[in-house]
Amino acid sequence: MVSWTWLLPLAIILSSLIPGLLIFSLKERQEKLRTFLNLTGALVKMALVGVMLYGVSNGVEFRFSLPFLPGGGLLLKGDALSLQFVSLSSVLWLATTVYAIGYLEDSPLRSRFFGYFSLCVSATVGLALAGNLVTFLLFYELLTLATFPLVVHRGTKAALRAGRVYLVYTLAGGAVLLMGVVLLHTEAGTPDFVPGGYLSGMDSEGNFSSTVISGLAGERDFTLTVAFVLLVAGLGVKAALIPLHGWLPQAMVAPAPVSALLHAVAVVKAGVFGLVRVVYDVYGIESVRELHLNQPLLWLAAATIIYGSVRALEQRELKKRLAYSTVSQVSYIALGVALAGPLAATGALAHLVHQGLMKVTLFYCAGNFAETLGVHRIEGMNGIGRRMPLTMAAFTLGALGMIGVPPLAGFISKWYLGLGALEVGQDWVLLILVASALLNAAYFLPLIYRGWFAAPPDEWPEDKRWPALHPLLGETHWMLLLPALFTAVLSLLAGLLAGLDISPLAWGQLIVEREFAP
Amino acid sequence: MNPALLSLLTPLATAILMLLCRSRAAVWTIAASLLSLVAAIAALYQVTTDGSQLIHLGGWESPLAIRFRVTALSALLLAFTALIHLLVGLYAARSRHSQTRNTDYWPLSCFLHASLASLWLSTDLFNWYVILELLGLTAVALVSLAGTKAHRAAFNYLLLSLAASLCYLLGVALLYGRYGVLDSLLLADMLEADHTTRTALLVITLGLMLKAALWPLHLWLPPAHAGAPTAVSALLSALVVKGPLFVLWMLWSQVAPVELGRQAGPAMAAAGVAALVSAGWSACRTPHIKTLVAYSTVAQLGYALLALGMLLRWGVRELHVALWLFVFAHGLAKASMFLAAGEMQSTLGSKKVSALRGATQTVPVAMFAFAVAGGSLIGLPPSGGFLAKWVLLQPLLLEPSHWPWALGVLLGTLASAAYVFRVIALSFDRAPPPRPDYNPDPVAQWLTLLPALLVWGMALGGETLILWMSGVAY
Repeated sequence: MVSWTWLLPLAIILSSLIPGLLIFSLKERQEKLRTFLNLTGALVKMALVGVMLYGVSNGVEFRFSLPFLPGGGLLLKGDALSLQFVSLSSVLWLATTVYAIGYLEDSPLRSRFFGYFSLCVSATVGLALAGNLVTFLLFYELLTLATFPLVVHRGTKAALRAGRVYLVYTLAGGAVLLMGVVLLHTEAGTPDFVPGGYLSGMDSEGNFSSTVISGLAGERDFTLTVAFVLLVAGLGVKAALIPLHGWLPQAMVAPAPVSALLHAVAVVKAGVFGLVRVVYDVYGIESVRELHLNQPLLWLAAATIIYGSVRALEQRELKKRLAYSTVSQVSYIALGVALAGPLAATGALAHLVHQGLMKVTLFYCAGNFAETLGVHRIEGMNGIGRRMPLTMAAFTLGALGMIGVPPLAGFISKWYLGLGALEVGQDWVLLILVASALLNAAYFLPLIYRGWFAAPPDEWPEDKRWPALHPLLGETHWMLLLPALFTAVLSLLAGLLAGLDISPLAWGQLIVEREFAP
Repeated sequence: MNPALLSLLTPLATAILMLLCRSRAAVWTIAASLLSLVAAIAALYQVTTDGSQLIHLGGWESPLAIRFRVTALSALLLAFTALIHLLVGLYAARSRHSQTRNTDYWPLSCFLHASLASLWLSTDLFNWYVILELLGLTAVALVSLAGTKAHRAAFNYLLLSLAASLCYLLGVALLYGRYGVLDSLLLADMLEADHTTRTALLVITLGLMLKAALWPLHLWLPPAHAGAPTAVSALLSALVVKGPLFVLWMLWSQVAPVELGRQAGPAMAAAGVAALVSAGWSACRTPHIKTLVAYSTVAQLGYALLALGMLLRWGVRELHVALWLFVFAHGLAKASMFLAAGEMQSTLGSKKVSALRGATQTVPVAMFAFAVAGGSLIGLPPSGGFLAKWVLLQPLLLEPSHWPWALGVLLGTLASAAYVFRVIALSFDRAPPPRPDYNPDPVAQWLTLLPALLVWGMALGGETLILWMSGVAY
């Protein structure tokens, strides 16, 4: 029995929480100390996550619990699924921190920004490590609170309006989620998440046994169905499922690192990660199928995929196009979950990471264009590849990945989703995948074309923020460029090396083996 | 001496001594509330080991005697009262803005503390009348400390308080005429659901609802609580309205016949939901900071009323726990919120909500206190408000036929989120340049944060607290 394993989940949360709280107390001009705290926190977290990854793949259990509510303690647990999300967020947090330090150089209220930035990541990893629904709910609400100040950070009218819209959606979603959690608690208590779902093995008395008393089963099924709808509605707000997606395109007024975080790591992912937890570890595939709940969820996800892509096509503003693309791409994960087969689940879990890597790259690049050249709209991208070739190359990798061009990461996820659809006999989903790929191509390829092949304007505006830059990597500040290149390369590698044991895909397979084990 | 009595007598003796000697009033008051808190904790310990106990004042045997009863709940309420008094006292002693330095605040707040303590311990309907009267007069005197501009609100408060007392007294007289006793413990076995009893309960309930500002009899509260000095607002909202609520709860859940309770329950619960929604709406509309906080008190009392109504309807034990958890969580959160609101209002020099634009930059700690307290009022985890809501929601969601009431809780949550975030959203705006007399007091701001931190701290012992409260006798 190893005695330190309980400490690790807590330490992973504290590694960003403590720097965050310290940063709040810093003066605006203590720039070096702030950067030091930020980067130390991010690196320590990466190291701790590495240890946990090694432990979990060798079957060590990491568990930390505190009493909180009767029948529902505060429980942090490192399992394979939580690590998929924790590793993604800790890697991208490091990249985004570097990016944000460069991006926000010399802007006001940076201590506040980085403080909430760290809180946001703490809430995200807490949510990933949550071992039961009560703990999940707690971090889900904390995440709402921690991200709001980031969305309104610029303090402009548009930012404040977006912040209000964000709050209305997410707080209402949180309240609905609470109802679902309590309803489920009255029905079955709040046990730990169990691979295969704790409701699947329970009869209507709440006992674990295979004999179901048929008389009470009807009412129980009704309650479970209502609870499922409440949970999905609550999570669907953050996961931006239609018709609950309205906040996401508005929230793109936030600074680029925040958008990157929102779309790739924290908020949207939290919602869809919650869906994975609810379907696999609370209800279990069996129960969801018996209650006939996976089919409506599948339709909803499919509709969101198509809707998001169509709306993305209409947008002329780069970040808005990316935002609608997120609405569409995140629903791939929901789609894979709702297909309820092992191959589709593998694809969904791999896409959880793949979409994060690709979308974060795209948002970094959009931020670079905007900060360096003031390009916000698609028309401004003509010939931008000649002025900023490295950024444009990263953008191209991300965009091609989103379309699903082999051998990039997006292709791997879509391949598995397609195979998964065939496996469970839902052939029509292939049509959705193909249509979506075409739509993705329709809104991303013109950007790539404009960037590389269209004629550039006669003169680029003077780079006001960083007039004297390094000649080789001199297209923009290195702190903006390197994170974009780093994540672009990662998304390339995630696709190329998908067969290795350390790839997101392989890890997804590991999770699926545990979830679908008889 | 019995520790519960000590907890009552300490503030009383201090108040009387302060009438004679005014020097160092703040120090004496804080010391007295601290001692009272310690005594209350000792009483709590005694009750949990030995069970409830009756104290006969003056050695008479009932039914003539005045009896005090120490139960787990009353001991907990004693501790709660002393704690709030202590926390508010610390702020009042420190802050330049509390309008309470070298005034009659100190003896009056001690009187208030003592009357509440005796309210929790009493079991006699007429005793309660006297105490409620004392409580009302002390509260009115405290409100009028704010100076001439608060006199109108104080006067209205006085009139309504007297009218409410008369209502209450009429009901008590009816009960006395019918049954010949006034001790609630004796009455509990005697009451029948006849016409006189119904009438008596109705007038008593109306009187108490008016005193506790329960919807729809709440209109006096916002001007009185908003107009009072900051420390007084905190005491009134956190403690004073809970007094009549306690009597209402005792009367209906312990004394009144069960079938009457089953009839009255849904009406009370509906009033609770209406309070949550309508007062929440008013809080979203009002232009003044402290009025917003005061309306929030009316709205939050709706949770207590909802819990009480459902308790009477279904008799589920957990609802006792929910009701009192709401009272404790609200008390701490509201103390913090009023102190923070008052501190911000004075530092920024305007009573308007719009003056809080950019408050995260100009008065960061007080704004943080407001937000943290607001989080508990909304019921965000892991706060005391969340614990209460969690316990309340369980019986509401147990049966599909109860689910509409859970919708009421959902609406209440959204309404409270709306008015809390109305302020928070504004505070994240960019701050205008500070006024020339801008001079923040960080220590006072931190003192406003203290109760809010305690209410979130309640969550640490959440499981123990809920299980303990479910286990004790009511």
